[in-house]
Amino acid sequence: MPIAGVVITTRPDDLEATLQALAGFKALEVHASDAEGNIVAVLDTGSLDAMEGLVREINGVRTILSVGLTYLNAEDEIERPGSGERLFGLRSHQEQ
Amino acid sequence: MAQTRRDFLKKTAALSAASYVGVHLPFDGTALAGTEEGITWHPGTCRLCGSGCRLELGVKKGEPVGLRGIPGARTNFGYLCMKGMLFWKCMRHPDRLTTPLYREKKTDPFRKISWDQALDIAAARFADAVRQHGNDSVAYYGSGQALTEETYLFQKIMRGGLQTNNVEGNPRLCMASAVGGYLTSFGADEPIGGYADMEKATCFFIIGSNTAEAHPVLFRRIMRRKLDNPEVKVINADPRLSQTSRIADKHLQFRPGTDLALLNGMANVIMEEKLYDQNFLSTYATFRQGKEKKEVSLDDYRKFVAGYTPEKVAGICGGNITADDIRQVARWFATATGTVSLWTMGINQRKRGVWANNLIHNLHILTGQLLKEGADSLSLTGQPNACGGVREGGGLCHILPGHRLVKKEKLRNQVEDAWGIPRGRIPPKPGYHTMAMFSAVNDGRIKAIWINCTSPAQSLPNCDHYNKGLAREDVFIVCTDIFPTRTTEYANLVLPTAFHFEKTGVYGCTERRSQLTRKAIDPPGDARPEVWIVREWAARLADRMKDPVISQCIKPFSGLDASYDLPRAIWTEYTQKVTKGRDNDLRGATYEVLARMADGVQWPALDEKYALTGGTTKKFVKGKDPLATIHSQNDLPYQFYGPAHPDRKLWVWLRPQADPEEMPDAGYPFYLSTGRIIDHWHTMSMTGRVPELLRANPYAYVEINPRDARRLGISPGDMVEVRSRRGVNLLPAKVYEGPVEGMVFVYWHDQEESRMINKVTKDAFDPGSKEPEFKICAATVRRVSGPRPLKPFLVRG
Repeated sequence: MPIAGVVITTRPDDLEATLQALAGFKALEVHASDAEGNIVAVLDTGSLDAMEGLVREINGVRTILSVGLTYLNAEDEIERPGSGERLFGLRSHQEQ
Repeated sequence: MAQTRRDFLKKTAALSAASYVGVHLPFDGTALAGTEEGITWHPGTCRLCGSGCRLELGVKKGEPVGLRGIPGARTNFGYLCMKGMLFWKCMRHPDRLTTPLYREKKTDPFRKISWDQALDIAAARFADAVRQHGNDSVAYYGSGQALTEETYLFQKIMRGGLQTNNVEGNPRLCMASAVGGYLTSFGADEPIGGYADMEKATCFFIIGSNTAEAHPVLFRRIMRRKLDNPEVKVINADPRLSQTSRIADKHLQFRPGTDLALLNGMANVIMEEKLYDQNFLSTYATFRQGKEKKEVSLDDYRKFVAGYTPEKVAGICGGNITADDIRQVARWFATATGTVSLWTMGINQRKRGVWANNLIHNLHILTGQLLKEGADSLSLTGQPNACGGVREGGGLCHILPGHRLVKKEKLRNQVEDAWGIPRGRIPPKPGYHTMAMFSAVNDGRIKAIWINCTSPAQSLPNCDHYNKGLAREDVFIVCTDIFPTRTTEYANLVLPTAFHFEKTGVYGCTERRSQLTRKAIDPPGDARPEVWIVREWAARLADRMKDPVISQCIKPFSGLDASYDLPRAIWTEYTQKVTKGRDNDLRGATYEVLARMADGVQWPALDEKYALTGGTTKKFVKGKDPLATIHSQNDLPYQFYGPAHPDRKLWVWLRPQADPEEMPDAGYPFYLSTGRIIDHWHTMSMTGRVPELLRANPYAYVEINPRDARRLGISPGDMVEVRSRRGVNLLPAKVYEGPVEGMVFVYWHDQEESRMINKVTKDAFDPGSKEPEFKICAATVRRVSGPRPLKPFLVRG
């Protein structure tokens, strides 16, 4: 289960509203914020797929300008691609 | 116990993020020692764009387990994007090519062969082609993703060994117009400043670049600058409203292909309102016109731009642009304490891409928005090593390493001497540029081509036309790559290569910065580093052709370990012998220095002591650029020593509006444009194999303006045919207030036959840079049906 450190950026005037919006994300923990609109958060999801979806959802919050990733630990996931993870619905050349 | 470790990991992640913004957390790292026990962190550069973000790959028991940014890196200050965060998943992907594959005929299935067999076959086929059809019947087509050592060694063997300048690379498709612009405006390739100007700029002019999606980490810097300083102006000029427009004070949505008029319109305002810097112009600039580069006067220029009044230009540009908008952005540009312009393919991939580049540079020269902190005319690059490997390392048909023109004998001789090969060995005639090269494949003039780390079968414009040539049985094709692609489908020989962090080498990013990535893990199966492959191939070529000069080309590298000593020796030869005395002098940027730097070295950097400071942040400025001091001819602070301008001046060009090669008409009434989306990169051979990225955007779609959609009866998700005079795609519709009315937009990554948009794009190219006009062609748009279930597709061998 991967863990990521992120800096979420919003306009300073939107900080409170953004923190309220982020409180609705279960897989996100806010650790700190500052007056410049920086929010330090940790994402803890069941899979990298879920994490990508979470980052996308966070980016979709109207007041959020960017989600900057700084750290990712995914050691629990390393076996998946190596063991031949099947991408959903992916057609190979021969299957066309 | 597991929970405790997980809590510790979360605190580590939080501390990592907090450190970047200077926020204090109520715990420190001391208690977390051991949390990452068993993980070693290996510094390197991100693989997936031209920003040059520095990061560390976490490795545990020989396997990649994570990534983190490097806070001390001046490229990204530790920030990464989601795409960059996940590229490591390619490393252990089951689709990786792990053994050489061969087939005599392209209609046959591949069979596994040994490296000895593969290298013998490659050598035999290239040697036979040269013997039977001449030196120019062979070619190398490389990549802005290849390491500098790889590009340099490939071109050395082609030029010094096989005596052909048929050396090209995919940067021709994305950056050649920027090269032409820098050379003709400033006298030297590559930007004067760099990213550091972003934190000092008070105006950003972003044109033809969706920075937010194509260069998200750089966009973050711009955004941060704007948020911290609300008075900073951001101008976004683009026919398509994009994520980048979110922070813009003004979005200029012009009709595709009218960008040259817009830029001349801004110049008109600058001249009319006397916003130019007279002292700067009279000291450092001349005005030029036409093919003959005729020098003209400031008054001639004034008269020229007088024809581009804001009112007239607003009429030409259409969209949402008013004359007052043009006046306003020109004033912001000229009067800011520092203006940084940024652009990418929207400007470069044009029939007159060099001119468009010139007209951006014009605005900077006119207003003196150059050479000072916070001001620069900065072309963003799309690939991690288009600058370092291909532009600097001799990866195009007309240039030798060290920014040397092939056609100049003195410069050829310098390279021949550095290589210890006879003078006259490198032919004087430039080789085929990319479009000419694949035309030569089409008509059988090229008999053997080596395609490295790129997929022209998908990435060339009007690709079906050129794929006929790739399918010819009398054209032998070698592909070196990590995954099967649309191009490996045409290959006779597929050679598996090591991926990033599975080998050692240097990338040079947008801002003249070279950065080292050392091998951290082993490649899978029998995949090998390209430098090993080229050396071993060249050794066999030398034997077959009984040519001691080919042996001489690889003699300095004989017997060296391919994981470090071999690339180091190649880099050493390149930097110490070949860049010496050139404007990209990299002698100070040794492997040892690069290994000590968080973020590499910006050239010129003539010695190690200087390189350890980080190198040159501003070219041409005495006190900041050692070459400006060395080449100084007077007391002026700026010295333009670039090789292309003997008058040592900046050139302001008189360039008229020029329409695209193909304009909408009654039969094809829409503009079609193409570009990137944040989750994917190029032909999707890598990002398509990262499930998280593929699921986010599993297939291409066509963006249609809501008013156009209503008129054509198209609803979101409907299947839509996009057809040009060359080809057709069938795509789901995204009805979106993005493209300007009359324009549709398709992202170009999808490998599925019916969604490969380069079947539709046009292969007209800039007569100067030879870069194709991917960005604009005429198309019809027609609703075919309601939504249909679609599946993602990748070539999987």
